[in-house]
Amino acid sequence: MIKLNYILLYLFVFASSANGLRAETIRLETTQQEFTAGETIVLTFSGTQDASIKLYCANSYGATIIRPKIENAQLHYRIPTQLTSKIGVVNWELLDKTNSLSGTFNIIPQTQPIAMETYVGPPSIEAGDRDYTMLVIIPADALDNPIKYNTEVTVKRQFLAEEAQEIVQTKNLIAYQRIYAPTQSGRMLLATECLGLNSKEFTVNITPAISTDFEIFVKRPHEYADGNQITAFTTSVLRDENKNIVSDGSYVEFVITNSDGNLLKTAGMTIDGVATAKMIHPDHAETWSIKAYVKGISESNTISLNYKQVIEDFTVTFSKNNRTIEVGPLQSFMKQLIPDGLQVTLTVSQRGKALETYIKESRDGFVNFELNPNIFSNGNYDLEITTASITKAFKAKKLW
Amino acid sequence: MVKADKNIMRSFLVLTYIFVISMLIFLISSAFTYLNTGADRSKMLHTEVQKIEQYLPKMNWIDDGNEGRPLDTQTLAKIENDYLDAWYVRHVAYQSNKTNGIEDYYTESARKNILDFVSQNQQENIFIDATTLSHQPNIEFFSEDGQLIVLKDENVVEYKQVYQGGELVLETTEKASYKAILLLEDGFWRIRHLVREKVENIEETTKTKTVDSLNLKGVNYYPQATPWDMFGDKFDIEIIKNDFDIIKNAGLNTIRIFVPYEDFGKANVQVEKLEKLQQVLDAAEVKKLKAVVTLFDFYGDYKILDWTLTQRHAETVVTKFKNHNAILAWDIKNEPNLDFESRGKQNVLAWLDKMISLVKSIDETHLVTIGWSNTESAHLLQDKLDFVSFHYYDAAADFTQQYSNLKSKITNKPIVLGEFGQSSYGGFWRPFAGSEKKQATYFEEMQAVLSSENISYLAWTLYDFEDIPSNVVGSRPWRTNPQKKFGILDKDGNRKLAFEFIVE
Repeated sequence: MIKLNYILLYLFVFASSANGLRAETIRLETTQQEFTAGETIVLTFSGTQDASIKLYCANSYGATIIRPKIENAQLHYRIPTQLTSKIGVVNWELLDKTNSLSGTFNIIPQTQPIAMETYVGPPSIEAGDRDYTMLVIIPADALDNPIKYNTEVTVKRQFLAEEAQEIVQTKNLIAYQRIYAPTQSGRMLLATECLGLNSKEFTVNITPAISTDFEIFVKRPHEYADGNQITAFTTSVLRDENKNIVSDGSYVEFVITNSDGNLLKTAGMTIDGVATAKMIHPDHAETWSIKAYVKGISESNTISLNYKQVIEDFTVTFSKNNRTIEVGPLQSFMKQLIPDGLQVTLTVSQRGKALETYIKESRDGFVNFELNPNIFSNGNYDLEITTASITKAFKAKKLW
Repeated sequence: MVKADKNIMRSFLVLTYIFVISMLIFLISSAFTYLNTGADRSKMLHTEVQKIEQYLPKMNWIDDGNEGRPLDTQTLAKIENDYLDAWYVRHVAYQSNKTNGIEDYYTESARKNILDFVSQNQQENIFIDATTLSHQPNIEFFSEDGQLIVLKDENVVEYKQVYQGGELVLETTEKASYKAILLLEDGFWRIRHLVREKVENIEETTKTKTVDSLNLKGVNYYPQATPWDMFGDKFDIEIIKNDFDIIKNAGLNTIRIFVPYEDFGKANVQVEKLEKLQQVLDAAEVKKLKAVVTLFDFYGDYKILDWTLTQRHAETVVTKFKNHNAILAWDIKNEPNLDFESRGKQNVLAWLDKMISLVKSIDETHLVTIGWSNTESAHLLQDKLDFVSFHYYDAAADFTQQYSNLKSKITNKPIVLGEFGQSSYGGFWRPFAGSEKKQATYFEEMQAVLSSENISYLAWTLYDFEDIPSNVVGSRPWRTNPQKKFGILDKDGNRKLAFEFIVE
């Protein structure tokens, strides 16, 4: 026992003399290597009481220099809050010329998130199996640090009758989940939860996809080419490949090819999947072939439409030195006077050279032309009158 | 008399009238102009942000794909640009303790972290001069809507000088790994979270090559007509080839040439300039001459935030010629010790140190040196260099003493006298200061020491020049005129008396 005491005494003496020898050796007394964000961190160094020794300290965002306080013959460096509140590795270096001492410690996030930054995008996606949106969640602790890796985040969603939830884990500071589109259109609601913290509600619009091919129909008051009534074209209900009615306002263009091969166009936008467009009847016999397109996306069948001639013949009366020309009565399919607005064209020419063309529209079944003597001096003129694609020619008509 | 008074009165009235009217017109037009200025539509978007290259650390992108949406090159370029700008504005903020630009590159919550540091450092009178030299970024995740990325940035080498109370308290190089979340806001990729995951201090070890004997005998070379503007518009390879013949026939084996930093295009080195340098080096190779290529001629900034630009410059030049047989050595900088006073010895040495490491990391074949302007500074950074080189313009009689002083400070490295010479000018501005004869005597005396000590040397210079650019020795005639007469050939190519003491 005495022997042991001697040994202890010897050890004590030796230890203190060793301390005396290495009085200027500065040692880090703080052993903790890992701190939670927000915790007070004080680095303590023993072996000196020189308060002029400063500490360089840097974290993810910046660096600074700290002055010590001397307590219990040790240097205490209290790490400032901007360093203790952010996660990541902090490195420090003692700014002493004789002792170069440096090290690092790690700051980890608090376990409990208090904010969940959530990003959903794109905000609308198309129904079907191609499109998806993405939910990105950054759960952060009270000091705005992303929480630790592999924390579970629950992604919840509701769509029509379906409610589901999945668990994803944080990685690379975030958690994310792809949300694939259902086959039906509608609104999907999303929410997330992380360790009891719930997010607000997010909405994703599931829009119908692009339309598939469709049919067109025609509706008209009669089949006569009276240049007055209106033919309406409608589509069948436009649907995408999953039978969702396409979004209102989808633009449908109707292309009409007439007997001469010329194109006429009219267009309409869908309401509840049906687009309607209109076109005035031709004023002479025609065969139209009609096809509709949602440009670059889908097309309809082709339908053909005949219009019957209404005016078979008309009378032309000359009076007042042949300078007044009356065309009419212009009669429609029931011998009624044709509704106002039928176009009549008069071309005046002399010796094969067209001098003037007059276009007038019928009124009460008649059209009157006056040939002004100041323009057409006395002489022989060739006159041509056209309406409803019927032409009547009067050669060498004498005006005086 | 009365008439004259009246005329004076009249003209006074007319002039007053003209003056008042012109003042009125001026005022109205100023008001009109003022009312027409104001919110410029083009400034609503950030379209007018000008791209100035001010920060170009080495970017080694890791292209290993990413989670989420595939990344296109245009977005990647934009991310790189904004991410580097974020680093740049942060360096500027800590250097000046002002927060200009921070709000453009950090989101509102992330900004706070930087502002905290800035205000504390301001209070404590701390500022930090820092730059990053290389990054190894890697996109980990790109969100489907293209608004968020997670970026991993590894092996970020950051050099820092920390000052407190105007005094340098720490110089450190750290290598760190970061993870960052960036959000696309207002057309900027802004840092939302930045987490440093790893950090270590790095001490760069530069490997040097052991050189037995260099045995250089040569001259510093500029063409006669274009001193200090060798690669300019008047570049003529035929003249240079001809000069190389003269040098070779004189029994010399080495030339020292200069690559001007700005003239070569700073960070974006111009291809034409590189081609001219290539022609010169090719010609030297044909004539069996070795070249010491001095980089960064006329560079004198050394500002830490400017380092990345100079590094890109050196990288381009050295990469292009790293396998060229004509090159003997890269001379990092001509007489950098002359900038110690104006730019800070600390900065200059740190810049040189990093530049040596960069050049050596690219080119493992050629030697590296620095052309110190005197014997007092020539021992600096010797551990990093393959041979020591210094310049000597003092009296020939003092050379032995100064050389042995230097030699005592150098351990185990060959020493090269990179520049020496004397002007033969003895005209109006410095009467009797020099003459061809004195110059010849100087070279004779020097030559005696050089050959007895077996010192490699490069004389200044081949030709007498007619015009000295003002950025060389200023524009005062008593300085420029002597500078014109350092040649061993006169301006017409005739041998001066000194010529025979240079040739073998």
